[in-house]
Amino acid sequence: MLVTRRTMLGLAMAAGAAMVAAPPAVAADDIVIGGSIPMTGVFAFAGVGIHAGIGDYVKIVNDAGGIKGRKIKYVYEDTGYKVDASVAAFQKLTSQEKPNFYYGDSTGFSKTINPELERNGNILMAGASFASELNDPQKYPYQFMAGPDYTAMFGVLLRYIQKTQPGAKVAFVHSDTEFGRDPIKPSTALAASLGLKVVETIVTPPGSVDVSTEVLKLRRADPDFTIFHGYVLAPIPEFITQARQMNMKSRFMGTFWSMDHSMVMKLGDVGEGFMGVMPYRYYYDTDPKAPMLAKIRQMRPEYQSTAYMQGFVTAMLFVEAAKRCVESGKELNGKNLKGCLNGIKDFDTGGLFGVPITVSGNSIPVGRVYRADMKAKTMVPVSDWIKAE
Amino acid sequence: MSDLLFLVEVSLAGLGAGGLYALTGVAFVVIYKATRVVNLAIGELLMFGAYLFFGFSVGLALPTWQAILLALVGGGILGAVIERSVIRPMLGESAISVFMVTIGLGSILVGLVEVIWSPDPRRLPEFMPNAPIFIGDAYLSPKVGYGFLVAAAVIAAFLLVFRFWRGGVALRATATDQAAAYSVGINVPAVFSLAWVVGCVAATGAGILVGAIGGISSTMGVFGLSVLVVVIVGGLDSILGALLGGLLIGLLEALAGSYLGGEYKLLVTFGLLVAILMVRPYGLFGTTEIERL
Repeated sequence: MLVTRRTMLGLAMAAGAAMVAAPPAVAADDIVIGGSIPMTGVFAFAGVGIHAGIGDYVKIVNDAGGIKGRKIKYVYEDTGYKVDASVAAFQKLTSQEKPNFYYGDSTGFSKTINPELERNGNILMAGASFASELNDPQKYPYQFMAGPDYTAMFGVLLRYIQKTQPGAKVAFVHSDTEFGRDPIKPSTALAASLGLKVVETIVTPPGSVDVSTEVLKLRRADPDFTIFHGYVLAPIPEFITQARQMNMKSRFMGTFWSMDHSMVMKLGDVGEGFMGVMPYRYYYDTDPKAPMLAKIRQMRPEYQSTAYMQGFVTAMLFVEAAKRCVESGKELNGKNLKGCLNGIKDFDTGGLFGVPITVSGNSIPVGRVYRADMKAKTMVPVSDWIKAE
Repeated sequence: MSDLLFLVEVSLAGLGAGGLYALTGVAFVVIYKATRVVNLAIGELLMFGAYLFFGFSVGLALPTWQAILLALVGGGILGAVIERSVIRPMLGESAISVFMVTIGLGSILVGLVEVIWSPDPRRLPEFMPNAPIFIGDAYLSPKVGYGFLVAAAVIAAFLLVFRFWRGGVALRATATDQAAAYSVGINVPAVFSLAWVVGCVAATGAGILVGAIGGISSTMGVFGLSVLVVVIVGGLDSILGALLGGLLIGLLEALAGSYLGGEYKLLVTFGLLVAILMVRPYGLFGTTEIERL
């Protein structure tokens, strides 16, 4: 058959019409959670957990009938933890799926996409970042974080230190990244107001391997407590190993992303006594006040990371906000969803957070200090749930 | 503690770390010297080598010395395979194409590691003596100290091999003039393979040492970035340059890190890079011939 230009044009138009007429992937009343999830790249260890956590909670809600019969749909794209890929994923998912909620994978992405969120107006976003900067409801009206910001995490640790050893000498060791620098300045001020002395602040370039010189600096400062921030694993083990070899007496602490059970256990013998702040209970916590953990263990008999808990809790808060809006007959847009989220008072997360939570601003400033027990291979709580504000 | 002692300790730590830079630098230089390929995948080759060791020692639970040996052999085989399947078909293509191929190669290696071993950061089993080293009163981290010794021994071996072994001489001859090397009966493609095998074995060794200190992850290839500075400063085709460049950069980073702060480490090293390139564009010990990419 001779294909003329006209038939080609006709075919193309027909194809175009078919595409437009194709049924939308989303049923009209589905509530959609979109996600820029780092399934590969440097943050993949967390991304895989986050993805499983969101997916599991969505499944639990849907199996129970959804929200007034409306199903939750979770769609995601892998970002490799790159801001440009995250933005591309956001554009794609928002145009195809019209999400009501969105999970972002980094501080950089959360900041980059903020103007777009405000323009769009239909989405409430949370994510992997606990950056203090995002904890500002005026600047980031359509965002929140499912836990304390990094400054509040330091707050929990510093309050614990003040209680156990008033006037202690403290050192901060952080990576030279946005993530690493985040809580340092306000925490230095907080330490001073708590009567603690910040004797050294050490910065390590990203990807630095050998930390001998930094440990030497730390030894000079001779702190009672050293808080690491901005790392997942390396260079914490080498830091502690060398410090122990030099007979330093400092105790070592970490923040959320270096506090996953499996990461801490990788420290081996030197990890004995490693402490840090965690807003959620660990997977193996059998406290009767945490029935949700029992349910998670039933769904997944093998250990799930704290990143999983973070994804799970985030999805739970998404769903709770949606539920409150649907029940009060409000339209599901960014403003209303945020309003419904902020209406959450003394909410029981099934025990994932150790205390009932209230989401007054953009964060949930609560956490507990845990200590690694290497013989029992568990993280043991050493403080009550501390509110940092 | 006296300031002098602190300076000595910092310098020792810097020189120790410099030894590792030098070893990786040698891996880069060997390949560049023989084949004129600017191998940007050097950091990833190092990472892959470290993971091979991890696979043999933890995955298959082999004794450490066997795991090291097998990892080195594996690294060599990887080098041969890469040279034969990826680099040789690029012979005669422009330098920039080959350069881009090595960037792609780096991504592939990262992907492979993430598929095989998952992207979780891990620690290598402890295999070096753990008692701290004291030189006089100055403390030196044992891993850095022993890592330095191993690196020094390997580099010394390299220098001797290139001077006296026939294969080493063939490699130098090829590096100097390919056509002339052909005409005196040197099997140039074999020399290319040899250079890649040797380079990858050296990178694997460096990877095991670096991994023993800082742990391993699929992103440890960024170590290659500092090494790139080392070889550019030292001269792309000079083993001695890589050695001295490594020590210099290691020392400089340590001093900058302790007296200026960690955020100045990269600033100082790259500042030095710019300064050297302005004064000696071919590096401190490189051949006076400028490759434009």
